[in-house]
This record gives sequence, C-alpha cells and structure tokens, in this order.
Amino acid sequence: MEPESPAIQTKDLTKRFGAFTAVDKVSFEVRRGEVFGLLGPNGAGKTTVVRMLTTLLTPSEGRATVAGFDVARYPRQVRENIGVIPQALTSDLDLTGWENVDIYGEFFGLSRRQRRERGHRLLRMVGLDERAGDLVATYSGGMRRRLEIARGLIHSPEVLFLDEPTIGLDPQSRRAVWDLLETLRRESEITISLTTHYMDEAESLCDRIAIVDGGKIIALDTPTGLKSMVPGSDRIDLVVEKNPEAIAEMLRPMPYLRGVNLDGGNRLQLSANDGAHAIPKVIEAVDGAGGRVTSITVQKLSLEDVFIHFTGRTLRDEPAKKVSLLVGAGMPQHR
Amino acid sequence: MFGLKFLAVMRRDLKKLMRNPVTLLSVIMMPILYLVIIGNSFQGQLKHLPIVVVDQDHGLYARRIVEQMLALQAGPKTVDITFENDPGAAMNEVRDGLFKGVVVIPPDFSHAVAEGRIAQIGLFTDNVDEISSETLEGALDQAAATVKIAFVTAREPKLNEISLRPNWLFPYVDYDRSLIPGVIVMAIFMGSLMSGVFNWVMDQFMGVTEGYLVTPLSRWDIAGGILASGVTVTSTAGVLVLFLGLLITRGRILGGPVALAMLVGIIVISATGLLAMTFALLGRAGHPRLVGTFAGFLNVILFFPSGAIYPVESFPPWLRAFAHVNPETHSVSAIKQILFKGADFAAVSGDIAFLLVFMVLTLVIASFSFKRTM
Repeated sequence: MEPESPAIQTKDLTKRFGAFTAVDKVSFEVRRGEVFGLLGPNGAGKTTVVRMLTTLLTPSEGRATVAGFDVARYPRQVRENIGVIPQALTSDLDLTGWENVDIYGEFFGLSRRQRRERGHRLLRMVGLDERAGDLVATYSGGMRRRLEIARGLIHSPEVLFLDEPTIGLDPQSRRAVWDLLETLRRESEITISLTTHYMDEAESLCDRIAIVDGGKIIALDTPTGLKSMVPGSDRIDLVVEKNPEAIAEMLRPMPYLRGVNLDGGNRLQLSANDGAHAIPKVIEAVDGAGGRVTSITVQKLSLEDVFIHFTGRTLRDEPAKKVSLLVGAGMPQHR
Repeated sequence: MFGLKFLAVMRRDLKKLMRNPVTLLSVIMMPILYLVIIGNSFQGQLKHLPIVVVDQDHGLYARRIVEQMLALQAGPKTVDITFENDPGAAMNEVRDGLFKGVVVIPPDFSHAVAEGRIAQIGLFTDNVDEISSETLEGALDQAAATVKIAFVTAREPKLNEISLRPNWLFPYVDYDRSLIPGVIVMAIFMGSLMSGVFNWVMDQFMGVTEGYLVTPLSRWDIAGGILASGVTVTSTAGVLVLFLGLLITRGRILGGPVALAMLVGIIVISATGLLAMTFALLGRAGHPRLVGTFAGFLNVILFFPSGAIYPVESFPPWLRAFAHVNPETHSVSAIKQILFKGADFAAVSGDIAFLLVFMVLTLVIASFSFKRTM
C-alpha cells in the first residue's frame, strides 16, 4: 500500500439483492491507522458494506479498494492484507484454541516458525495462553471472540474488520474486547473498521464514525464533530422558584438558546450550542426578570441522541428475507 | 490457484473428524453390523416351520412319508410336526396363522403307490409367506421322492437316472463372505457423506465458513482439502471394513499383496468418486437436514441395485440398466472379483475404467457447483 493512500476507499459502492438495494452509492475513505466506525440500526446495510470490502460479496456497482487493492479485481490480494472478525462466532469448536490460530496462519502461508512466534504472542495478548490447549467447545462466548481476534491478527494484517465484535457478550467480556482494541490501536499502526450499533463502543473506540441508514451514509465525522452537527447540542436543565411559564416566555428570544421547553412543575429544558457559556447568561436573565434559579445543570448531547437525531425513532423492520418453501429457513441469510 | 494450502484445510478437517470418534466408528461399525444382520437374515435354511400332518391312510407308504418327515424334524429341524385327524380343522388353523401348512395323506395312498397308480399327497400351505411355502414343498418333495425311489428301485433299474456332480472354479464363498464387497462400498458411501459434504454444509450452517472465505484460500484449496480429508477417512474406513469383514467371516484375499494393492486402489477411486458425487449433488444444500435425508435415500438406491445382496442378472431390465451405470455396482464387482477370484488387472479393467470416468466426471461437476462466495 502507498504510504499516503487510504486504507479503505469506496466510491458509489452499491449492492442490490434483486429489487432491494441494501447499500446505495456509499463513498468514504479511511486513513491508515484510523479506527473507523460504521454505526447504524439493524438492517442499515453496515454488514453488507463490510462483506463487500472483505470480498465475501461482489459489489453491484461502484468501486472499493482495501489496502490499495480493488476488491472486485484483486480479491486474493485484499484477503492477504485483511483480518476479519465476522459477526458470527466462526472458530472451530472441535479444535483447540492453538490449533485454530495455527491452522488459520497456514491458510495465509505462514511458516511453522512464524505461526509459533506470532500465535503464542497473540494468545498471550488476548489472555488465552493458558487455555490454548483446550478445545474451543469449552470456551465462553467472550473467550471465543478474543480467540478470533487473535486468529484474525496472525498474519499481521494492514486492515482489521470487526463486525459487531461484542454482540451477545457480557459486560466483562465487552470490556476485555475493548481493552484489546485499545491496545491494538496504541501499539500498532493497524487500521480498524468497526461495525457496531453500540453507541458507547463507537464513541470510546472510534476516531471517526459513519452513521449508516437505509443503505446510505447519512453522517460522517468524529464523535465530537457528529455531536456538533446537531443544533443545540448541549442540554440545560433549569429549575426556578416560581412562574416557570413567564420565565420560559422571557428566555425564548435569547440568541444564545436554541430552544426552551417546560418540563413539568418548575422545570425547564433549554438547548444551546454552547451550554457552558449560556449558563451565567440564563441565571442573569432569570434574576433580572425577578425570578430565582433553584438549580441549573448542563450536559452534552450523547452519541445516542445524535444517532436518534439522524436516524429517527422509527423502529426498523428489516426487509423480508427469502425462506425456501422446499427446505424451510435453511442457511442464515447473507444480507 | 491450487497450492499447498489445501493441506491446511485437510489437516483441519481431519482433526475435526478425529475429535468425533463416534462418527468415525459408525462409518466402520454400521456396515459391519449390516454384514452380520443381512448375512443372518437373508440366508440359511428355514427351521421349525410348524405343520400339521393328517394321515388318513396309515398304510405302509404313508408311514414311510411320515417317517421321512419326522426325520426332517429330528435332523435338519426343518419342520415341527403336529398330528391331527381332521383336515378341515387343520386348514383352519393354517388360516389362523397357527401353522405354515397341512400335509394330508389320503385314505388310499399306500394302495395307489403299491399298484403303481398316481398317488398324491395334499399340501396346503400359507402361500402368503412364499419362502416358507416353497421350503415346505421342497421338504415334502424330498420325503415323497424317497418313497418313490424306493418303489422304483424295487420294480425297474435306474436306467435313465442322471447324476450331477458340481465342480467349483473358485474357493467356496459363503453368503456372509459374499457380502463383504457390498459392505466395503457401503462404508465408503457412509464415510463420503459423513466427512466431505456434510462437514461443508454444517460449517456453512454454523457460519464457520465465513471465517475461511476471508482468507487467501482459493476454491481449489478449500474443495481440495475437504475432498482429501474425506478420501483419507473414507478409504481408511473401507480398508478397515475389508479386514474386519474377512476376520469375521474367516476369509482371506486371494492374490496376496498385489490383490490388496488393487483393492486399496479401487477403494480410493470409489471413495473419491462418491465424495465428488455427493458434493455435486448436495454441496449447495441449504440445510444439513437435507444431507441427512438424501443420505438414506441415496444409500438405498445405490446399494441394493449394486449386486451386493442379490445378483444384478435377477433384476428387471430397467433396474439392470440402472445397475450398469451405478458406480457401486462396478466397485462391488471389481472388489468381488479380486477378493474371491484372485482376478488380475485385466479382468477388472472394465470396472476400473468406469470408476475412473465416473470419478473425473463427478469431480468436474462438483468443482463447477462449488461456490467460494457466500
């Protein structure tokens, strides 16, 4: 890969399944060494984007390069340079932890010595060195996920794709996976593409986040940048001694506020672009109007608020999946 | 690109199979059990057939017939005899399923025999059970023949009697032993289903495959590795079944090491062909349950018309035509000829040529039907 070329680049990337467009002209770039998040509700098209980038699905239109290689024209070169941790747990239950890592290394053409050196180091890194000789069937879900991260790194890939890596894990296991990714980010130059619908995960791990919905990217920025895209991104909770209606009327025209709402009793909820600077002005205005502030707090908008702002509150029903009349549900769907 | 990475896939598959000894054992033991069960249920003389004898004659020749039948009861134990007087009641008991047949010796039987008239014995059988019925007819024929021969001998010399002296070209092969080729082929078939295609479909179903499709493994690496592990396991099972079968039936391989090498070769070719066939047929199955369902069906339609149980020559023309294109027929035929007749390569070259063509054809079809993407 050229030093300055992006780790991932897509241009109008599109995937259609029959009449259904799962991914619609998606374009973005991921810099080398960046942790890039794809955040979106279920069925938004995140996994389909990742599957095209990891050569599991062929794009219907558009173009994508990973580690400098076109995914449609050079799929083998792409696979040689990526590590993938799919959403489903894909480690072999009938093999030991070590065998899973070792055989996976063989798939990438690593020598026995390379596999031994890297495999043991990675298993130590994910905290599984003492259980490496046990069958994976005896592992918990969290242990399997950590093993798969080690397995996905055995060939030192340039880009690591993680698709919902903490889904279904208990809080301790989630934290362990996060710590692992933090370590990776800190200690290597690897580029990480993280697909998730956990806001806290995206916020704490990702340098930049693309919010995907309906197969399109509807916002892309750093977590802070995304929050600032929402007008009135700071929320001020104000409690006054009396006359909340009159005070609300008085505050509404103030230029430093984006919104004023009564919140029951003597409470008011205000929104502002810069909450910290707005607070003294609000107190001064209330005092000037003969009122008295009982309490006032400011809090930043969470990423979840941003997410809801961009994607709305409507529940998403995923498009109907094909179920064969002849064999029933059959294989898990690959959309 | 077909590189050495297929060895890693093979190693993975073999390790997984080795960790499931019950599956492996069933590939070997189930066909052996078939050998024991089929061998003992399809063959052997019938014994202890319950019959009623109604002797309305009580004369000399009637007594001789009865004595002969009692001898059948005492010796080979073909029949268990009950004597009764009422032929009508005896026939009702056959209808009720209490007896397999009634032998009625009519009142003037001995006179008729003595005077050289046509003497008849009545045999009323439960002909719904055809095999028992035919056995009873045979037994009574034997008893009657003894009387007739004695009678004929007394009056005229045996001028036109022709005797038959059987001569065997090959060492004696009993029915149990004759099943060994079929049982080997059954082990190959079961191994081919339980290793190759079943593992592939199950891995897909469990989502495990996705982890492998994102590696640089080519479709040839994946298919080749799965096939190689399947052939290894299946061929080993086939060879083990060969030796176990010979051990159980106290047989041996005619032709020594060369014959053994040819047998192993045929087992490997058959295993590869059947593995490729199951891949071609079921490689895109949407659910492991489909593989299980088709396994039973394919086993029956390939095994029974293969000549493993009954000679192909006895089949109606349409089934005979199917048998001729059935790979298991050629595997059974080749193994049978080498194992029991000590046949050389030339004698089985037709069967081997068929198996090779079948193997290449199914490998080509399987490679086209094998998908690398999801």
